[in-house]
Amino acid sequence: MTQRPWTAFYAPGERTDIASPAYRTLPDLVRSVSETHGAAPAFTCCLPNGMNGTLSFQQVDEMSDSLAVYLREVAGLGQGDRVALQMPNCLSFPVAAFGVLKAGCVLVNVNPLYTAEEMARQFEDATPHALIIVDMFADKIPAATRDHPIPNVIVTRVAEFFPAMPRGIVGLVQKYWDRSVIPVETAHTRLPDAIAAGRARIAKDRVEVDAYHQPVTSDDIAVLQYTGGTTGVSKGAMLTHGNLIMNMEQTMELLNSNVTKGEEVALTALPMYHIFAFTVNLLGFYWLGARNVLIPNPRPLSNLKRAFENYKITWMSGVNTLFNGLTNEIWFTDSPPRHLKFASAGGMALQSSVAERWEQITGKPVIQGYGLTETSPVLTFEPLGKARPGSIGVPLPSTLVTCLDEDGNEVPQGERGEIAAKGPQVMKGYWQKPEETEKVMKNGWFLTGDIGVMDPDGYFRIVDRKKDMVVVSGFNVYPNEVEDVLAAHPGILEAAVIGVPDDVAGEAVKAFVVKADPGLTAEAIRAYCKEHLTAYKVPKRVEFRDELPKSNVGKILRKDLRAEELAQVAAE
Amino acid sequence: MVGAFEQALLALMIFVIMLGMGASLTPRDFYLALKRPYGLMIGVVSQYGFMPFIGFLLITTLPLPSAIAIGVLIMACMPGGTTSNIFTYFSKGNLALSVLMTVTSTVFGVLLIPIVLVIYANALDLEIPRENIIATLVLLLVPVAIGMVMRKLNANVGAVTEFMGSLLALFFIVFLIVSWVPRNWQFLITTTPATYVAAIGLGLFGITIGYVFARSLRLHPRNARTVALETGIQNGPLAIAIIAFTFSGDEAQSYMAVPVLYSLFIVIMSTLVTLVFRRANTAAEQKMPDGLL
Repeated sequence: MTQRPWTAFYAPGERTDIASPAYRTLPDLVRSVSETHGAAPAFTCCLPNGMNGTLSFQQVDEMSDSLAVYLREVAGLGQGDRVALQMPNCLSFPVAAFGVLKAGCVLVNVNPLYTAEEMARQFEDATPHALIIVDMFADKIPAATRDHPIPNVIVTRVAEFFPAMPRGIVGLVQKYWDRSVIPVETAHTRLPDAIAAGRARIAKDRVEVDAYHQPVTSDDIAVLQYTGGTTGVSKGAMLTHGNLIMNMEQTMELLNSNVTKGEEVALTALPMYHIFAFTVNLLGFYWLGARNVLIPNPRPLSNLKRAFENYKITWMSGVNTLFNGLTNEIWFTDSPPRHLKFASAGGMALQSSVAERWEQITGKPVIQGYGLTETSPVLTFEPLGKARPGSIGVPLPSTLVTCLDEDGNEVPQGERGEIAAKGPQVMKGYWQKPEETEKVMKNGWFLTGDIGVMDPDGYFRIVDRKKDMVVVSGFNVYPNEVEDVLAAHPGILEAAVIGVPDDVAGEAVKAFVVKADPGLTAEAIRAYCKEHLTAYKVPKRVEFRDELPKSNVGKILRKDLRAEELAQVAAE
Repeated sequence: MVGAFEQALLALMIFVIMLGMGASLTPRDFYLALKRPYGLMIGVVSQYGFMPFIGFLLITTLPLPSAIAIGVLIMACMPGGTTSNIFTYFSKGNLALSVLMTVTSTVFGVLLIPIVLVIYANALDLEIPRENIIATLVLLLVPVAIGMVMRKLNANVGAVTEFMGSLLALFFIVFLIVSWVPRNWQFLITTTPATYVAAIGLGLFGITIGYVFARSLRLHPRNARTVALETGIQNGPLAIAIIAFTFSGDEAQSYMAVPVLYSLFIVIMSTLVTLVFRRANTAAEQKMPDGLL
């Protein structure tokens, strides 16, 4: 397919194609933006009690320069060496991430909540030469690096770069009240010391930081982003400087008319180690010259209260779970952010009932994006003001999206097929896993594993993930559809739907429901579903749960529910 | 009784604590509490409707000498105290509502305390020391306002002040209990069980009925917790001041028995209630997925 009917939905002035990235590499982007915005606040880390620290664009630029020099000159890393970054959102994150990239090294984002075994598996695959980790999780280092030692460990803390008083208080509270920080046993350098050492080197030897990344091209790997946690084998998607810069630009292109460079205040409650927040929040908001308010831990959601009170948030990005949660918080509904222009959602399907409630409360839309780690991540985005229920919107500029059948041929428009994409944001491949790469690349198309349909005018809708489909007596049921109906029920907080073995129908639809109304019964739910769904789609079984299993970004894990169900069947 | 130095020290502590409480608030919190004055009205009804009635029931059912009974009634008619704001803060209640309730009940008190006393005590002629009322209001509102301004000017200064204020508040609660006991030891061992029941029951029933009343009128649990504490926690020092102002000698001393006892037990009881409220608050929190760190 070479026609792109969706470009009709781009706002006037938006480019349909972005010929080449505006910057050669991410370090070039950081340098250029920092020079433009200088002393303006770039990042503010806001803790639940309102204590905060702020770094300006200039400071982030200077500190990341110094860290780059430390990594190259003191730690002895070379171009292309991997550096693992394992921390929640805090001021150290941008400093460390930009520093690693400026050193010409490859950034490996690691989920700080990983267990030591999960860390070890990722370290084994990525073989990092250095690890920059927050002290709260440093106790896992010995077990995680037993078989794969990491020569350089740099330790930071959540309140790093805060003014002395709040930093001291947070440190004492973490040490003696929360007991969330215990002394670090592993040999390490503190991040401020590493920066100071790098800074001293620059002064003494007149090191040219730019020389480290001059040889790096836009086709070189910038980030190894691990994925597949929900599908099986964990794989590192190789995202190049070009991939990330282009995806950031592609996404911003569609939002450009609604934001003003240097004037936005953005809220980052999603972890930046996740690709969605990495590209949109870390890179996109920086590029925009926005003040980026970082939330280290949005749980419980009341942790966000002070950030909303103290900063005039104009843009936030989140996942369905976050938007759903906020609309159920009394302090949020009582006093919704008044300066908000819009919110963007990614990471998981945004339920239309959640989107509607959000818009009712804030008066501003949530715009949904869709993509995968492998696509840096955004492929499609809903144009502002043209959202369509149940849709993932239209492809970004310079992006081709289509639906393929099992043999890799495009299906006729309007028919279901596996969504496939081509574009500058598609990864280089999986790190050291050519056979895995081959499985997802077909005739130059990247296969998403999601089943979708294209509307005549170019909007795409996801009908399901390939393997989640339930077959009831030969009829296909897509769990998303049933879940959407359930989620719209006022007495239901959230719901997940899977297929379970059934003697009569082969498979039956089973719903796991978290109640909002304690009086809700299974019968009432089924009766309600019958009003909205064809009979075979109505859950035959309903089970009430206190909570649903979720991935680390809040995606409901149907596979866990399925595993539990199968184990139970086997036991009987 | 409490010496001048101790009184000044307590006032200073309250000032710093309220500075911290103020730093946790924004003008919008007050705006929201005023926008829906329902909660505020429930508070006033609870304060001057239920509390005196509870006091009345206690003195009619318990075998109390008349001097003690008058002490119970006076205590029951008092407005909310600053301590209620502190406990509301720790209970994760609605602090802005609590402050407004304290202010309202104190201001209305000038008018309502005599009326209520007419109803229940056939015009017990009390002198209400205006300067104490004004001091209460000043000690509440001035630091709260300063705290709010500090936070507005610098979020870190506000957060540090709030942190220090809450630490001091914890110390204050412990200090109240620890300093009270040796001061009034003699008094503790000579008091009759009925007086104990009255002094403890007043606060306990006040908190319980305040909560049930607010919940039955469908106030959000956060606001119901506030109303409960505000209703049960009375301004003990004001009662003592009123008695000292109006009466003298032995008479004053025996009238003061209940306010003094009440002041000890309300702090202990509110601490326990706060622990329960905090637990309820945590249980009601939405469960977010582990990894959304």
